[in-house]
Amino acid sequence: MKLGLVIDLDTCVGCHGCATACKQWNTSGTIGPLADKDPYGREPVGSWLNRIRSYEVDDSPNSKTVHMPMSCMHCDDADCVTVCPTGASYKREEDGIVLVDQDKCMGCNLCSWACPYGARELDPEEGTMKKCTLCVDRIYDEKLPEAERQPACVLTCPTRSRVFGDFDDPESEVSKLVRERAGKALMPELGYNPVNTYLPPRNKPVQDQIDTASLKDTVKGWVNKMIAR
Amino acid sequence: MHPAFSVLTFTVMSGAGYGLAALLILGHLSGINGLQDTNVLLTSGILALALITLGLLCSMGHLANPKNAWRAFNRFKTSWLSREGVFAVLFYPFFLIYLLGVWTQGAEINGFISIIGLLAALIAVVTLFCTSMIYASLKTIRQWNSSLTPLNYIVLGLMSGSIVLAAIQSSLTGSASSILYQLATALLILGAIAKVIYLFWIGKPAGSTINTATGFTQASVRLLDQGHTSNGFLNNEFGYTVEANKIICLRVLMLVLAFLIPFFLILSGSSTLTIIAALLTVSGLLVERWLFFAEARHVVRLFHGDQRT
Amino acid sequence: MSTVKQQAPLNEVSQAQADIIAKDLPEFEEHAKQEIKYTTCYMCACRCGIKVTVEDNKVRFIQGNPNHPINKGVLCAKGNSGIMKQYSPAKLSAPLLRKPGTERGAGEFEEISWDRALDMLEKRLRRIRETDPKQLAYFTGRDQMQALTGMWASQFGTINWAAHGGFCSVNMAAGGLYTMGHAFWEFGDPDWENTKYFMMWGVAEDHSSNPIKLGLKRIKERGAKFVSINPVRTGYQAIADEWVAIRPGTDGILALSMAHVLLKHHLVDEEFLIRYTNSAQLVVMTPGKVGDGLFYRGDSEVPQVWDQVKETFVDSNLPDITPALFGEYTAPDGTPLKTAMSIMVEKYMDEQYSPEVAAKECGVPAEDIERMALEMAHVAFKESITIDVEWTDWAGRKQDKFIGRPVSMHAMRGISAHSNGFQTCRAIHMLQVLLGTIDCPGGHLAKPPFPKHVPPGIKPAKEMAPMTPLKSPPLGFPTCPEDLAINEDGSPRRIDKAYSWDAPISCHGLMHMVISNAVKGDPYKIDTLMLFMANMAWNSSMNTEQTMEMLVAKEDDGEYKIPFIVCSDAFNSEMVAYSDLVLPDTTYLERFDTISMLDRPISEPHAACDSVRIPVIKPDRDVMSWQEVMVEMAGRLDFPAFTKEGGERKYKDYKDFIVNFEKEPGIGFLAGYRGKDGEKSLRGEPNPRQWEAYEENEGFFEMHFDMNQRYMRHANLDYLKLAKEAAWVGNTNQIVIELYSEKLQTFRLAGQGLYDGPMPTEEHHKERLVKYFDPLPIYYMPLEEQRIDRDEYPYHAVNQRPMFMYHSWDSQNAWLRQIMSQNYLFMNRVAAERDGIEDLSWVWVESHNGKIRCQVKLMEGTNEQTVWTWNAIAKRGGAWGLDDDVKENTDSFLMNHLISELLPQKGDNMDRVTNSDPVTGQAAWYDLRVKITPAAEGETGSWPTFEALKAQPNAKKSPKMLSYSSHKNVNLLRSLSDILTRGDK
Repeated sequence: MKLGLVIDLDTCVGCHGCATACKQWNTSGTIGPLADKDPYGREPVGSWLNRIRSYEVDDSPNSKTVHMPMSCMHCDDADCVTVCPTGASYKREEDGIVLVDQDKCMGCNLCSWACPYGARELDPEEGTMKKCTLCVDRIYDEKLPEAERQPACVLTCPTRSRVFGDFDDPESEVSKLVRERAGKALMPELGYNPVNTYLPPRNKPVQDQIDTASLKDTVKGWVNKMIAR
Repeated sequence: MHPAFSVLTFTVMSGAGYGLAALLILGHLSGINGLQDTNVLLTSGILALALITLGLLCSMGHLANPKNAWRAFNRFKTSWLSREGVFAVLFYPFFLIYLLGVWTQGAEINGFISIIGLLAALIAVVTLFCTSMIYASLKTIRQWNSSLTPLNYIVLGLMSGSIVLAAIQSSLTGSASSILYQLATALLILGAIAKVIYLFWIGKPAGSTINTATGFTQASVRLLDQGHTSNGFLNNEFGYTVEANKIICLRVLMLVLAFLIPFFLILSGSSTLTIIAALLTVSGLLVERWLFFAEARHVVRLFHGDQRT
Repeated sequence: MSTVKQQAPLNEVSQAQADIIAKDLPEFEEHAKQEIKYTTCYMCACRCGIKVTVEDNKVRFIQGNPNHPINKGVLCAKGNSGIMKQYSPAKLSAPLLRKPGTERGAGEFEEISWDRALDMLEKRLRRIRETDPKQLAYFTGRDQMQALTGMWASQFGTINWAAHGGFCSVNMAAGGLYTMGHAFWEFGDPDWENTKYFMMWGVAEDHSSNPIKLGLKRIKERGAKFVSINPVRTGYQAIADEWVAIRPGTDGILALSMAHVLLKHHLVDEEFLIRYTNSAQLVVMTPGKVGDGLFYRGDSEVPQVWDQVKETFVDSNLPDITPALFGEYTAPDGTPLKTAMSIMVEKYMDEQYSPEVAAKECGVPAEDIERMALEMAHVAFKESITIDVEWTDWAGRKQDKFIGRPVSMHAMRGISAHSNGFQTCRAIHMLQVLLGTIDCPGGHLAKPPFPKHVPPGIKPAKEMAPMTPLKSPPLGFPTCPEDLAINEDGSPRRIDKAYSWDAPISCHGLMHMVISNAVKGDPYKIDTLMLFMANMAWNSSMNTEQTMEMLVAKEDDGEYKIPFIVCSDAFNSEMVAYSDLVLPDTTYLERFDTISMLDRPISEPHAACDSVRIPVIKPDRDVMSWQEVMVEMAGRLDFPAFTKEGGERKYKDYKDFIVNFEKEPGIGFLAGYRGKDGEKSLRGEPNPRQWEAYEENEGFFEMHFDMNQRYMRHANLDYLKLAKEAAWVGNTNQIVIELYSEKLQTFRLAGQGLYDGPMPTEEHHKERLVKYFDPLPIYYMPLEEQRIDRDEYPYHAVNQRPMFMYHSWDSQNAWLRQIMSQNYLFMNRVAAERDGIEDLSWVWVESHNGKIRCQVKLMEGTNEQTVWTWNAIAKRGGAWGLDDDVKENTDSFLMNHLISELLPQKGDNMDRVTNSDPVTGQAAWYDLRVKITPAAEGETGSWPTFEALKAQPNAKKSPKMLSYSSHKNVNLLRSLSDILTRGDK
């Protein structure tokens, strides 16, 4: 299997729901806790596994706002794994999830340097690297209802802009979406082959206007029609 | 990239240490006349050990969870950091046996010790290479992801080592070995050339842009919000920014300190001035290493609004 | 919505692999130790159902309840951060009494027992109730139990009660209820499943945050067009197919201009207008005479129409007549008459509504105005849909289908918070009605208990007497000047001057005026101000700095001008410091609550729904929920509705009250699981196990309507019968949509001196009534703009809350504040470059009311004449458990300081008039105009700032490092052999 996410930039409104759902689940999850330094102070900084960035594309007045949630892309060619000296970072053979074994990480930061997507953050309390687990502790948990065996970010997304699935399965929803909506990888030139794929904003639907030419004759005045109440 | 002090001192000190060790052994074994003195060999050897060990200790300071540092040897198969660690450790027994040989046998060591010595020299250079590859292998940092990086690390390591070696040799024996001075001069020139090429090379616009990062390649892209007010790990690690003016000043300072002044000091042949040259080179290389980090622009910056790397 | 995915994410083959993988994994969660509980979120007013996993009395996970009608499993950023609210160090832990000898506002308190606190409150309230009940002003913020708090006020006998609707959405509520008996948000929704063209007006994040997000996804998925009209492009606008960057406050002219285009081309649904609206009714055309502009009734009680078949005047409410939609007629007594529609056509065909003229005012190009109108007409009339379901109309006639005109709209804050918002809202509804898109498939659907008759039949109370409950609720819907709460001399009876000539149809009260009026003694002084969920000493007030001064203002004798302030809050908010008695509330995870059918329930268009909160966490503090305090106090004060005949208390607590209280036989706070055995819905005798039934049903009740009851409910007999049974409407008569509002005309006549009843005496009141109480929707320049020099203050300044904090009154949250702890003043890049204002520079922003200093951020997606910011990011140092030097304090700013609660001062008799919509009293906080000048070198940081507040006695110290988890993590170990042997991948 090749598990990952499809993120629809056409409908993401940048609400940060996925980011806090992720924080919430994972702070008590397998790589938890996700510490927050100075939580009530001047510079509150915690470790988050999913962050939303907002961009404006093109110049006023023809510009467009795009919200871009980013988390680990679970790359096929994950250099973060290659560079890890301890073996704490690894990509699971069975499903492609990239994980950090919290008991083995020495906090050298090198994997975060190797990651082009800013997906790894050092925990300020524990000194180990934290990153998206694709909610490995949810998706295989057979005690959860089947429909809820999804990453927390996907479950919560209010615009359903996140889809989880198996990219190896050509019939999976993620594979279909990537095909139908011309899904894009970010920074493909670096050759990481990220699994997570972004669906670009769609073109505007073309909306016909009512034909006013045929109505010209009646512009002169309104005539009562026989319409029963 | 944020120039962490621990990493700067580590790479500069261990670079000089490995360069010193390698040149010392190679010079000794190839019969360079200034390096057939037990005193010179042992003093240089101990200094090399001190530089390397201090450097390694500094590098440990960079770890957020050092209790797992011992695990760093595990991923020799793929990780240059792991390889560096393995070779750095492996260097010790070889070099110590070599030094023990010199201590017990004097400059006239036997064949076994010679072979061990040669291996130690080789490991020293390989370790330097591994260190450089930690940086050179990162596709995320255009300024590092080049064969110029290992060239720089090895040449500058040997260069600083050679000046230190010349300084020790001349001050202990009272007379400077011309071949050592010639070597140091040559390495200074080579180092300066390598560095200048590097500086020109990183000045060329290339690499990823905010457009390729976000996937919007048809129009300008501006960051509106990075998603958090206070700077977090990614900003601190990758967001390091220096003004262009300061960069130019530091580049000049680096070239003058690390290369230009030492070049002239060495030309004098004075042992005192050579010691000063060694100190200047090392401090110049600290500036060089600071710039190596400060000028490196990680692609994550694109997501935080930089237009290009 | 039917299409929400709740299926397994993996196909068969993948699932088979997953099953194998699962066997090798450790047990990450000890499910046996965990408990799953259902309740309702309260991180904002959206009221999503949540499924909470609890272990060891700690929250493991809060997720959306997949079965819940509102959010269908999804949850926003706020809902997902509930844990940080629950474990906030700023939680209050015991009742607080201002330390004797200390000043109000200093924040010095001593903890007291609940017994003492309640005794103290009881004594004070008893005295007021026995002497002069209006001396109690009771105002609640964004609470969702107004059915209870309003009833409590009625029983107490004070008309001085309202919630926060007066500065939130009364323009939208009133605009809808006075037009069609329902409205936006809680009263109606777009038909997300069928609409083909969706137009959103002035919406930031919204009350119905997750339903809108789900709906937007749904319409985009179906390829429908989404147009967003908003000066600022953030969240929703970002994904709109078309963003219309309108100038703030001019939406009315845009809507009316689109109506102009439709009328010019005869693109209106005449059948709809004749059958379902009052546009064929005949209006008396006798300018300058009593009765002008009212409907002609002849000898009947009912407005008349001209029947084209019988060629005579007939009652407009008869079936099977053929009314003339257009024309001028003469009554038998010679009175000239005209159909409302003819008046509308003449009015809106005027050049002042042409796209070319409108474009100059609103900044939307004329061709775009015309195009959007014609696009909507195409969808409505050429892409109409039918649902073949037999239904019965109001007259009992069978109809074979529902015709859908799939254009829908949603409007909110950007319309509401302007002083022309009521009429603008009516203009938008008029557009919807002309297109025939009301409660039809694909159009704008009502949500039960709406629609109601226009307007709902509750009149505001105006009589008070000691120890006597009010005869009707404090808030209601006036239909004529007689309904106003004014004295003989025309002076206001309410402390907030609601239902006075200042704001006759202020159906939600004017909470924003209470403190200012009480301090001035205008119209009179009060004794006690009781606040719940309202941060009036900070972001819930206009003019915050002066409000803080008013809260501590003293009389000459040293007594505070507002002698006693009580607040209930769960956290150490800015308001706490300004209270004399603080009653610590529970968090939403610790209490019982009802989202009641008597208030604004969680109904969906096709289902009647309500819901509850049930505690999922045991409080670790000495706290009591406000609703519990209400019931307790009602019992102590012997309110008739809370007392048995013998004087004994009727209800032992809140739970008991909710189950057993009946408004009328069989109708209570909760509509579900009624009847002795819980089998009855909507109406039925009390069920002693009702709470348990809700708990068993995941905290909500949902009753789907039959297909024939789902549309055209204003005229759908099967639906109206059900609505009557449920006490949502008083009778099954057709709910006639009032494009022409005779009710407004009565007020206008009063202004003209032509009304046979109360009339204003002051000139400015007369002028306002004549100008703004137009029976047909109009556009006028917002009042602040009318009274300031527009060249001196060239920019509109508006604010909105970010999605991850919207409507989240106690949003101080360790996770959410990381997303944003500083707000900027956003400006259009081109405009800023023109004015020489640099990105991230500090500027002074000045209005007629004051100035602030803040930091600018330039962006593309903002109207060039508009600046805006994220609201309520700024906090006072020390409040909410924050350090003194947080960016919320040093670098953030409240735009509130610039906004006055009164109109700009000009030395005339309008100076005392509220800065609100002249019809509804809606606070006009979007009318603000400002000028912007760069700050001097070295002037950085926000201004004004205020001294840090003190932590409460025994408050927990805010941690420097927070590592929340409900259990020790179960790490997934990688084996050593794998580490040593794996290659590159």
